[in-house]
Amino acid sequence: MYGLEAINANNGWAISVVGVTIVFSGLVTLSLVISQLYRVLALWENPSKIKTLFKAKQPKNQSEEFQEKEIIDQAVFTGSQKEGAKQFNLLIRTMEDHFSLPRLLHLAQISDLKNSHSNLNNLLKTNIIIPDGSGFFTWEKETFDKAIL
Amino acid sequence: MSNIKEILNKSSIFSSLGEDDIQRLEPFFEKREIHPGDIIAKADDAAQFFFLLNNGTVLLAMEEGRSVVLNTPGDFIGLELLSAKGVYKTTLTVLEKGSVFAVPRQAFLAVIQENSEAAATIMASWQEYLDKTAPFVKIVKKIEGISLSYNF
Repeated sequence: MYGLEAINANNGWAISVVGVTIVFSGLVTLSLVISQLYRVLALWENPSKIKTLFKAKQPKNQSEEFQEKEIIDQAVFTGSQKEGAKQFNLLIRTMEDHFSLPRLLHLAQISDLKNSHSNLNNLLKTNIIIPDGSGFFTWEKETFDKAIL
Repeated sequence: MSNIKEILNKSSIFSSLGEDDIQRLEPFFEKREIHPGDIIAKADDAAQFFFLLNNGTVLLAMEEGRSVVLNTPGDFIGLELLSAKGVYKTTLTVLEKGSVFAVPRQAFLAVIQENSEAAATIMASWQEYLDKTAPFVKIVKKIEGISLSYNF
C-alpha cells in the first residue's frame, strides 16, 4: 500500500494537521515573545520603572484616597496660580516622564514664568509633582486635572 | 516654630543627642529668613554653613539633575548632602518663604568631633535620615583617622 491510500489508512491527515498546528502555535508564541522583548529590556535598563509598575497596579486604600482628596480640597488655587500650573504643564510636555526638578525650574525661569518658585512649590504641595525615589520627579496628570481643570 | 532648642529636639538628626550636647551646639545656630528664589548655597562655592530647616521649602539640586525637596521642620541640610572637602556640591534654592538656622560648618564639625559619642549618635541618625530622604546619595563612610572636615 502506497501514496494517499497509505496516508488514509494510518491517520496521516490527522497527524499532519496536528503537526502543522504545533509548529504554527510555536512560531506564534515565539513571535509574541520577541515582539514584547523591548519592554523587558527597558525594565532591565531602568529598574526603577518596575517599582512604578507595581505602585500603579496597587489599589489605593481608603485612607490614601481620603488624603489625596483632602490635599486637593485644601489646595485652592487662585487664578494666577492656576495659570502658572498650566504653564508648568506645558513645560512638562517637553520633558521626559521622570524629569529633573532643577531643570524644570530653570526652564520656567528662562521662559519668564511669573512666581516660578512659588508655583513650583504649589505643585509639589498638592502632589501634582511627586518624587520618584531616585532624585527625579513625575507629573501626576490625574491630580492636575482634578485640581486645575 | 522659631526656637532653636525646640527644633533641635524635633530634628531626627539631633533629637537623640543628650541635653549637654544640644546646649553646646545651640549657640552656633543663627536664624535666617528665606524667600522664594533665594539661593542659600551654590555648588562649587566654599562651604561655610550647614543649615537646619525651621519652616518653608528648599530645593536641593544635585549633580546629574537629581534633587530633593526639603520641607519638614528639623530637616538638616549638611554633611555629604551639601558639601565635600569644604566645597558645596549642591545648590540650595528656596521655593517657599520661611527660615533656616545656619551653623558654621567648621564650628559644627569641631563640636561633634570633640565628642566621639555625640559624633557617633549624629552619624547614625544622619545615615537613617539620608536613607529616608535621599537614598540615592552616596554615603561617605566615616574613615578612622580622617577628619570630618576632610570628608564634608
